[in-house]
Amino acid sequence: MVKGQMKIQQMAVMIVAVFFFFILVGLFFLGIVFKDVKGGAGQLQKEQAISSLRVIADMSELNYDSSWSMSLDEDKLRIMSGNFGGAYDLFWPVASVEVFKVYPRFDEVEECPGVGCNYYGIYDNGQGGVKTYSTYVAICEKVRESGSTYDDCEVGKLVVGVKQPLAAGGRG
Amino acid sequence: MVGGRLKYGQQEIVGFVLIVVLVVVGLMIFLVISLKDSPVNEDSVVVSNVIDAIMRHTTECAIVYEPDYDNFEDLFKSCYLGDRCKNLGMSACDYLNESLSDVLSAMMASDASVGFYELDFFVGEGDGLLRISNGNCSGSVSAAQRKIISGSDGLFIRIKICGI
Repeated sequence: MVKGQMKIQQMAVMIVAVFFFFILVGLFFLGIVFKDVKGGAGQLQKEQAISSLRVIADMSELNYDSSWSMSLDEDKLRIMSGNFGGAYDLFWPVASVEVFKVYPRFDEVEECPGVGCNYYGIYDNGQGGVKTYSTYVAICEKVRESGSTYDDCEVGKLVVGVKQPLAAGGRG
Repeated sequence: MVGGRLKYGQQEIVGFVLIVVLVVVGLMIFLVISLKDSPVNEDSVVVSNVIDAIMRHTTECAIVYEPDYDNFEDLFKSCYLGDRCKNLGMSACDYLNESLSDVLSAMMASDASVGFYELDFFVGEGDGLLRISNGNCSGSVSAAQRKIISGSDGLFIRIKICGI
C-alpha cells in the first residue's frame, strides 16, 4: 500500500515537473514572438509619425517649391526663426519645430542667423517631455552667381516635437 | 529483483532525457529561424526621405559651365554617361564616389540609431556602378529605392540602413 502511494507521489511530482518545464518553454517562445510584434508596432508608429512630418515640411510657410516635397526654403526659415515667427505661435499643431543643417558636418550648434550657422529654431512652446521625431529634408535657396541664378540645396534635418497628451483629470 | 528496478529507473531517466533533448533541439531550430529571418522593410519612409534629401543636394560639379552645378540626381546621370566635372577636372564618377561618401557619412553620423548603411547605384538588371557602405548591421533593416531616367535607361539608387 505504502509502495503504491510512493509510486503515485513520484508520478505526480514528475507530471508537475514536466508541466512546469513546458510552461517555461511556452513562456520563452511567447517572449520571443511578442518581442517581434512589439518591435514591429514601434517601427510602424515611428514610420507613421515621420510620414506626418511631411505635412509640416510641405506647409507653404516652410516649403521651397510646391512641386518639391520635403524641401525647405532657407529664406523662409530665416524669417520664421526670427521675431516674425512669434506671430505663428498658435499656428503650429506641434510642440516644437527645429531645422538643422547636416552637411557640411558641424561640431557645435550655431544658431541662425549668423556666419556658418547650422540651426534654425522655428517654434518651441516650452512644453517639457515632448517626444521628438526627425526626418531628412533638403534646405534650398536661390543663389546668384556670375549672372545666373540656380537652386542651392543642402541636406538638413527637420526635428518636430510632438505634444504629449494631458494626464486624465488634467486641464484641457 | 534489484537489477530489474534499476533497469526500470534507467529506462525512465533515458525517456526523460530524450524528451528534454527533443525540446532543446526544437528550441534551437526555432531560435535560429527567428534570429535569421529579420524582415527587411523594403519601402521605408525614413530611407525614402534620405534618398530625396540626397538627390536634391547641390554638388560642386559643373559639367558644362559654372554655376550650372549638378545636384546628386544629375550627377548620377552624368556618371552613367561618363561625363567630367569641367570645373574640378575630374570624372563625374570619381567626384560622385568621393562626395556621396562624405554626405552619407555626415548624415548617418547625425543619427545615433544607425549602425550600418549601404548605397547601391545600378542600371537595369543589377549592373552595379557604385557601392558605398559602412558600419556593422545588428538590428532591423530598412530600405528604399529610387528610379531615375537617363535617356532610355533606368538608373536605380537603393539605400539600405540598419539600426543598432
